[in-house]
Amino acid sequence: MAAEALGGLALGVLLAAPPFLPPYFLEILISVMLVGYLGAAWNILGGYAGQFSFGHAAYFGIGAYTSTLLFLRLGVSPWLGMLAGGVLAAAFGLAAGYLSFRYGLRGPYFSLVTLAFAEMLRVIAVNTKAVGSSLGLVIPNREPAPVNFIFAGKLPYYYVILVMALGAVWITRVVSRSKLGYSLLAIRENEDAAEASGVDALGMKLRAMAISAFLTALGGTFYAQYFAYIDPTITFGPSVSIQSLLQAIVGGAGTVLGPVIGAFVLTPVSELSRAAIRGRAGVDVMLYGLVLILVISFLPQGIMGWVRRRR
Amino acid sequence: MSLLEVDAVTKRFGGLTAVSRFSLTVGAGEIVGLIGPNGAGKTTVFHLLSGFQVPTEGTVRFKGVSVVGAKPHAICRRGLARTFQIVQPFVNLSALDNVMVGAFNRTDEVAAARRRAVEVLDFVGLGARRDVLARELTLPDRKRLEMARGLATQPELLLLDEVMSGLNPTEIEEIIGLIRRIHGQGVSLLIIEHVMRAIMALSQRIVVLHHGEKIAEGGPEAVARDPKVVGAYLGEQS
Amino acid sequence: MTADLLLQALVSGLLLGGVYGLVASGLSLIFGVLRIINFAHGAVMMLAMYTTYWLFTLRGIDPYLSIVVTGPLFFLIGMLIERAVIEPNRFAAEHNQLLLTLGLALFLENLALVLWQGDFRTVRPSYASASFVVGEALVEVPRLVACGGAIVMAVALFAFLRLTDVGKAIRALSEEPEGAMLMGIDVRRIRAVAFGIGSGCVAVAGALVTPFFYVAPDVGESFNIMAFVVVVLGGMGNFVGALLGGFIVGLAESLGATLLPGSLKQLVVFALFVLVLLSRPAGLFGGGRGR
Ligand SMILES: Nc1ncnc2c1ncn2[C@@H]1O[C@H](COP(=O)(O)OP(=O)(O)OP(=O)(O)O)[C@@H](O)[C@H]1O
Ligand SMILES: [Mg+2]
Repeated sequence: MAAEALGGLALGVLLAAPPFLPPYFLEILISVMLVGYLGAAWNILGGYAGQFSFGHAAYFGIGAYTSTLLFLRLGVSPWLGMLAGGVLAAAFGLAAGYLSFRYGLRGPYFSLVTLAFAEMLRVIAVNTKAVGSSLGLVIPNREPAPVNFIFAGKLPYYYVILVMALGAVWITRVVSRSKLGYSLLAIRENEDAAEASGVDALGMKLRAMAISAFLTALGGTFYAQYFAYIDPTITFGPSVSIQSLLQAIVGGAGTVLGPVIGAFVLTPVSELSRAAIRGRAGVDVMLYGLVLILVISFLPQGIMGWVRRRR
Repeated sequence: MSLLEVDAVTKRFGGLTAVSRFSLTVGAGEIVGLIGPNGAGKTTVFHLLSGFQVPTEGTVRFKGVSVVGAKPHAICRRGLARTFQIVQPFVNLSALDNVMVGAFNRTDEVAAARRRAVEVLDFVGLGARRDVLARELTLPDRKRLEMARGLATQPELLLLDEVMSGLNPTEIEEIIGLIRRIHGQGVSLLIIEHVMRAIMALSQRIVVLHHGEKIAEGGPEAVARDPKVVGAYLGEQS
Repeated sequence: MTADLLLQALVSGLLLGGVYGLVASGLSLIFGVLRIINFAHGAVMMLAMYTTYWLFTLRGIDPYLSIVVTGPLFFLIGMLIERAVIEPNRFAAEHNQLLLTLGLALFLENLALVLWQGDFRTVRPSYASASFVVGEALVEVPRLVACGGAIVMAVALFAFLRLTDVGKAIRALSEEPEGAMLMGIDVRRIRAVAFGIGSGCVAVAGALVTPFFYVAPDVGESFNIMAFVVVVLGGMGNFVGALLGGFIVGLAESLGATLLPGSLKQLVVFALFVLVLLSRPAGLFGGGRGR
């Protein structure tokens, strides 16, 4: 009960407070929501199915590039491009997942192969003139046009990513209370025992992969529209992959709210450290590394796991 | 047509032949015992039947259809479930969730799976412990959980791999009773067991494996008196 | 495409391949004993390269000579890292151990970025641009020395693993962990030593490449990725495989660079990586347990 009241209060604040926030805090809140969203998307495959992807940047990049190219080259609204990117990313995820799972890649080997897939896409993007090579793509026309996912000011972007994050949490909740969710947890715990109990491990993992990749790609489109600029390193580089898994691990992998909680903890850590030590790039990521080590060492189930155990 | 027909199955691991031209049938409603000294190849037979390993030679037919090359989950879907010699619970899930995973073999509905799982947990005597994490269960309870998960898939044939090892006499008595009740529900069973008293009491027919080969088959008394069987077990001790 | 260019690519590829082999041997050794894919391996190399840089810049110590400092120093640092970070999590889930080394890599790399900024630094001793011609191919002396040094170091490592008690314990542990435990090997100590040796190897590799490479916080990343590829190719925990794999990857990379435009050469390496992972997770030369 108390938890629900707290949740309702938090939701109320997230909905009502932003119009009154100074721009700096609004920006921070947008990045909290974005990484929380990405963490939630990663969580479905990594947290529930236990398949630790190190290459979710692949889907993020596919999403960002698909909608941006469709918009720049064909004038297709990024809202539609977003869906196209999601579908394309899901297809790529299914292909990559089928190859990896079919050939029995588990644990760290799966992590490595997903990293390699993402890096391949990055190298291809860097070397392809048609997609702007290493210079990337700029969305030039900043005339506000909501049908084209271009808004005046940051506030509308905030509400978009808030809805996306809530949607991802909702999807996670639905999945976690379905046959798919139970099957994924069983696979994470013990794939052989899951198969022996009638769980189609390959099929279930592919489903998780498709959902996870689809959602991640939508995040890519959001990024492209919000920053109006993408390049291969930003979108396909390892840092998106690391960000995605970090939120979930810190907040609690395999829990519904974990990734968002993780984002609310990690983003302020990064902002504060950057504010404290100005002009020195890398402080935030250095702290992320430290947090990751500390969380694995002392809170291996993340914040949510810790909260649960204390109750 | 028998429920399970294994015909001249061989499994080799490199140079080692773990199972050699092994044949077996299990009829509907039967309880068959599979015994043999350590390393005889019993567990390997289970792996071959349940799709975890593919026979090098020979055929396995379940309900008249070959299951060679089928994935374990597909075989489970057809109605053949198994337990693992070393129990494999989903340690971070509750007993109820463990069994629900099995129950989803026959339904897509969470509520139906939960109902079925609760039923099965009560049936195996774990009803009171359903919310305990599997990692916190004692060994006897884990053995019951293992059986419950298999049972929840609603099998026609259940393979039990040494579900009594490590249990004390009272617990063994309870498991024997449980197996009888499972049988009473119309489930056929193939049981690997080192506890002779139990296997003799339960089985209608016993198959003896030694160095991967079937050396005897028949009723419990006949097998117990078979000099080859006695020799195989004595040879193990020397 | 002329024959000269191909020949040149072969030579460069083989020379860099030796270094990859040494980096990968260290990674492979660590994997063999600890069963951990060490994401921080490249970061350790980077730190060794900075050490080499500072010794050269501040004290004028020759990069090759500095190996007598960096090698042992990073052996100790490796042991320390193992004891402080890895050992307490020895029984953590496999993926959490992987994340642990990822965290370590992020921390070390960005520590370097905070301390020394992102600028490229170079170490250029007098012989840095020395070269000679064999047939039609140009051989740069520092690259040759790096390759030679790497091979010497790798051979010394093999000898160490074969001949010394500690080396034998390491091999026992990576080939038959259960048996080694029974033989009364001090597993805790050997794990730290293995991590130390692996780190020492990659530190030496770092010192060897500084005369012809640049030094920057993320310089270890590409070597790390290459080492993953090499180790997967050579078989996890297989040291000879790692050296052979190093040459294969070096060749693939430099042939890719010659035949393909831009940075597409990396695609060749990643494609190789994915193919080997998918087809033979135990590596081309067998050895360690793959799946
Ligand atoms: N995957 C495998 N690879 C190689 N050899 C194997 C494999 N699995 C089993 N074996 C070998 O096959 C033989 C039979 O093993 P199995 O586990 O089937 O015996 P078992 O009858 O179940 O013995 P126990 O009573 O000890 O459980 C043994 O010699 C074992 O070492
Ligand atoms: Mg057995």
